[in-house]
Amino acid sequence: MTLAATESEPERVARGLRRRDVALLQTLVQQYQYRLVRYFVFLLGTRDQVDDLVQETWLRVLERGGSYDGESRFEPWLFAIARNLAIDHTRKRRLLSLDSNEDEREPAVPSPVSNKASPFEQAARTEDAQHLARSLQSLQPVYREALVLRFQEELSLQEISQVVGASLSTVSSRIYRGLAALRQQINGGAHAN
Amino acid sequence: MQTDNHESICRLIDKSLAGDISGQEEQSVRQHLLTCSACRQYQDVSNRAIAGLGGFAFGTDPNLPGKIFAALAIRAAQLETQRLSHRKLAWSYAAALVLTLAGSFAAIHLGDWFATAFSATHQQIQLGLVALWIVPSVFFCLLLPTLPMMSKRWMHAKGVSL
Repeated sequence: MTLAATESEPERVARGLRRRDVALLQTLVQQYQYRLVRYFVFLLGTRDQVDDLVQETWLRVLERGGSYDGESRFEPWLFAIARNLAIDHTRKRRLLSLDSNEDEREPAVPSPVSNKASPFEQAARTEDAQHLARSLQSLQPVYREALVLRFQEELSLQEISQVVGASLSTVSSRIYRGLAALRQQINGGAHAN
Repeated sequence: MQTDNHESICRLIDKSLAGDISGQEEQSVRQHLLTCSACRQYQDVSNRAIAGLGGFAFGTDPNLPGKIFAALAIRAAQLETQRLSHRKLAWSYAAALVLTLAGSFAAIHLGDWFATAFSATHQQIQLGLVALWIVPSVFFCLLLPTLPMMSKRWMHAKGVSL
């Protein structure tokens, strides 16, 4: 039996990343493109510069692929890289905004009173999603992140804890609070209809 | 008492949705939901909220994968060049180390033989080996590990990037 036949999917990915296999990376880029975009939008609450962050994530995967052991799933490792980049990006933006003049400052998160629709409002395709869009925009990023990782990426609590570097109880509490905010919005929407 | 039970069941529903519930707790939730419409509604609204999260379709740039592939190919080539230059450096360092050891061995054990062969004094041979063999190879041994750092500094000073 060959090595390729016995190894699991994470092991195959880890082996490819160690060899810096560009063909494997191209497959992964296509497989995870939408999921990374969605994760960044949920984390940052904006669509601005998300494409740059997605590209930067894959460059970092290429550079640090050797540190993925293939013993756990690839997704938590990938989202942890994406998260660190998003944090660096936010820090840089804050520093830039401190350096620039008051008039030139850009809000880190689109203002709720702005006429421009939030990325959630723009992306909402169902009635419930439209109800949730406003709530998501005003929700703290850590809660949005916990919701997308748990209910869209279907990561376990342990995996989310690995991505965000927080304890299991903190992750659970973020999910509960995020869910509570969404429930409120759904209830509000139901009453409005 | 009934309110307390509702609250604890709602907490268990949240735990279940978060993927943090035991089999026994799951069983008690199921039994409670058979008879309690308020908790069933709580669960339905929670499920609707979660399903609502799937109702977003974020637009993606169709050209993005192509841009990423191009950036990956360039970076992969740069990393490969770096890897090869590190490998060359490691071999050079190993060669310099071997030369140093061989020079020291020759100076200690073969000094008399060289002195006879070249009709020189033992001291002259020792000095010759130290000056022409051991010192240059020690110098390379010490210099080589600092080369990447020096080259980075030079590139930084000249504004050259890989």
